[in-house]
Amino acid sequence: MQDLLEARDIKKAYKMGKVMVPALRGVSFKVARGEFVAVLGPSGSGKSTLMHILGALDRPDEGKVFIDGMDLSALSDDELAEVRLRKIGFVFQFFNLLSRFTAFRNVEIPLALADFSDKESNERAMEVLRLVGLEDRLNHRPAELSGGEQQRVAIARALVNNPSMILADEPTGNLDTTTGWEIVQLMKYLNEEKGQTFVIVTHDPTMAEVADRMILLKDGLIEGVKVRGERL
Amino acid sequence: MAWENMKQRRLRTSLTTLGIVIGIAAIISISSLGEGFRSSITTQVTQFELDVIMVMPSGLTGSSQTRLAQKNATSIQNNITDVRVATYVKLVPFPQVLKDGSKNATTFAALGVNFTEFREIYSERFNFEQGDFPHSLENNPIILGHGVAHQKGETIAGIGDNVTLVISSNPLVPLPINFTVAGILEESGAGSLISLDTCVLVPADLTTSLLGVDMIFVKVTNQDRAENVAENIRSMFNDQVATLVPIIMLRNVNNILNFVQVFLTSISSIALVVAGIGIMNIMTVSVMERTREIGILKAVGAKSRNILTMFLAEAALIGLIGGLFGVPAGYGLAHVLSHTLTTFRPPEGANPQIPIEQMSFTITPVLSLTWVIGAIVFGIVVSILFGWYPARKAAKMDPVQALRHE
Repeated sequence: MQDLLEARDIKKAYKMGKVMVPALRGVSFKVARGEFVAVLGPSGSGKSTLMHILGALDRPDEGKVFIDGMDLSALSDDELAEVRLRKIGFVFQFFNLLSRFTAFRNVEIPLALADFSDKESNERAMEVLRLVGLEDRLNHRPAELSGGEQQRVAIARALVNNPSMILADEPTGNLDTTTGWEIVQLMKYLNEEKGQTFVIVTHDPTMAEVADRMILLKDGLIEGVKVRGERL
Repeated sequence: MAWENMKQRRLRTSLTTLGIVIGIAAIISISSLGEGFRSSITTQVTQFELDVIMVMPSGLTGSSQTRLAQKNATSIQNNITDVRVATYVKLVPFPQVLKDGSKNATTFAALGVNFTEFREIYSERFNFEQGDFPHSLENNPIILGHGVAHQKGETIAGIGDNVTLVISSNPLVPLPINFTVAGILEESGAGSLISLDTCVLVPADLTTSLLGVDMIFVKVTNQDRAENVAENIRSMFNDQVATLVPIIMLRNVNNILNFVQVFLTSISSIALVVAGIGIMNIMTVSVMERTREIGILKAVGAKSRNILTMFLAEAALIGLIGGLFGVPAGYGLAHVLSHTLTTFRPPEGANPQIPIEQMSFTITPVLSLTWVIGAIVFGIVVSILFGWYPARKAAKMDPVQALRHE
């Protein structure tokens, strides 16, 4: 399979007062197109920092990220925004939907930013909402939806621009076990049936059961990689 | 999207917009009143015979030693080019016209004139309601202005009636002079340098001994030459006379009105600037509140300029809505103010001899499309200018920091 994503020796440190605290200390890995990868690690292991860098939301202090062979470090802020718009879909732990907008309007936001026509925008938003099983909840605002439904809306929003990959940060972290499992199954379905690439950052070991590969992160370094079916 | 954002914060948006409404309303009411005032004044001044110049001793009441007389009028006519006719007029202020010793009429002035020449000066205003132009000076003919003959709906005197003119301007010698009414003029409006409606015209010879102002009325061949002729007359009299030129008055009035309007509009613009600061304040709060939303939008691919545009669109919408409501509000306010000003009554102690209709003044607010568009555009521009700082702050937010915001 062709590599979709490559992280090459990523380093990132944050300033806490006068002290620089390293979050990532040289992380390298590749994700192939159509893969379902889980990055596992305890809190403070640098998972979220890694996801922000992979998702073109943040820049590493050192190292490079390539998406579809494109070096993100060479891009301007606006070009990074364009990468987020066209190539990446985000799913967050706390859903991050705009509370004032209906499910449908939330899903339409990336399409509006990508300058789709109203007609095309409507069709595509409908299509992905149907795909995540929310065709009867289109006009509900987030507050009127359950946690699982909100996360489905977030997945629909992430999917709507046909991104190269979806980055999910603790997508089940704010859901009960059953609902969390349903969301995992939905993502797996999208991966297997639609070929959608997923990189999921989580500390939830149940992800291990669906991920093609698990990357274990600890103290800003990769501690190990486990392919499904293998023992670590 | 901007509209949806604003709808969610109805009260806050309404209050912010109200500031703009007040600002625009202030500008529109002041400007439309100003335009109305200018239009009224200009209409009145342009009704003046723009080709007639009034010459009087400088200091008006004759503080200079120059006394004007018919011979000076003749001299002007003979020596200055572009003069069609020049005639001597003696203005005797506030005489009373008495009929049968009891019915009396207030007047602004008795004008001692050479009837033939004076008619040439005001040829268009010399239309008789009754009677005619006196062909001889026998029996002391008098022509009554329309407003003098008809006072409070009552006709004071008719053609051939004998009336007495009581000159009270010199209290020691209240000279009563007897006249026979030769004609009553049609109403000609208050548009001339001296309103004929409130004057009586008598032969100049009879006013020689009376206290008044000596004047010369000069009609020029072309109104464009009026200013030049006036200058020549002044030099002829070594600047011992003053000239009243309607065209210069019109220009001066326009200059003053322009200044007053710019001044008042500037003051009313302060209201709009204050409203702009309100927008800045509210938008700064809004940007802080919506930090996470900005983070989400950036995460899903919004560029800085998308965020900037979104906030500026909200500011511009506030400006536009403020303008759309502010314009009619301001126009309405102008009408209320105009009504209040028009119902003005002369204060106690005002000269009762000046008819009340000459002291009141109607201003009809005039709203031009230029002002409407200008005010709305100004509202939008102010809103955008003041919205710029918070919008830029939002646009430059770091997406990761914004997403972490609680």
